[in-house]
Amino acid sequence: MKEGKYFLKVFLGTIGLFVLTVLLLYLFINRDNPVSYGSKKITIQVIVPDEDVQEFTLYTDAITLREALDEKEMIRGLNSSYGFYITTVNGIRADETREEWWSLTKNGEYVEYGVDMIHIQDKDKYELTLMKGY
Amino acid sequence: MRTKDLAVIGLMSALIIALQLGLSFLPNIELVSLLIILCTVVYGWKTLYVIYIFVIAEGFIYGFGIWWINYLYVWTVLMLITMLFKDQRSPFFWAIISGTFGLAFGTLCSIPYFFIGGVSMAVSGIISGIPFDIIHCVSNYLIALVLFKPLYHLLELFNQKLHETK
Repeated sequence: MKEGKYFLKVFLGTIGLFVLTVLLLYLFINRDNPVSYGSKKITIQVIVPDEDVQEFTLYTDAITLREALDEKEMIRGLNSSYGFYITTVNGIRADETREEWWSLTKNGEYVEYGVDMIHIQDKDKYELTLMKGY
Repeated sequence: MRTKDLAVIGLMSALIIALQLGLSFLPNIELVSLLIILCTVVYGWKTLYVIYIFVIAEGFIYGFGIWWINYLYVWTVLMLITMLFKDQRSPFFWAIISGTFGLAFGTLCSIPYFFIGGVSMAVSGIISGIPFDIIHCVSNYLIALVLFKPLYHLLELFNQKLHETK
């Protein structure tokens, strides 16, 4: 009787450990779903004159800034001989007839490379500002 | 501390270091967990000396990286858990404890990353390490199940002989 109880405890302990292992395995297999985080955390500010600044925190494993923004479908644009040219950010389109364009800065400083050339690192902070006038 | 205790601590430390190095080519398959459990069951708090000799030696062998900070507490956590159930002699019981420790190893080791890179870094570290934790869990479970009893009797015999000698 005592031995039976002991083996029941051992059996339940082993089953518990097995269930925990399967749950972790499930979590690992589904690690790319929205609840899992990327290894890099970047901050994106969308600045439109006369509107509140919108701030987004992205968790990504992307290499370039364009890949990270594309993952969240934050930008649209055109490929040109100079690289990728951003036309729309977060649904806001730069109106060429009004000489509007999107400026990309990192910590407030102008970035020399296109969005598809920028290799992102953890804790990077970028601003996308809608500018007027060429 | 008596000379015999010093000899036991030295021998156990050397054994753990040698076995860790010998099995280092196998990812997360190790005898360190079982030896720390056995050492705690037989020698109690003296295991703390064994753990920290092992940890310092590992630092000198592999370099003092972030992983070394993990080593400063993970093995002590195992020892403290073992101390709670010191009177248990069932290999099944220790297989479950050792397996659970193996499964939790990655999570325990992620604690420094909470302070270095925040929650996201720690969580991504835990998730990416799950396959290694599962290997660690299964191997720890089987090793403890098969080897706890014979090694415990061997250690008890050694302890008995040591105390018989003057």
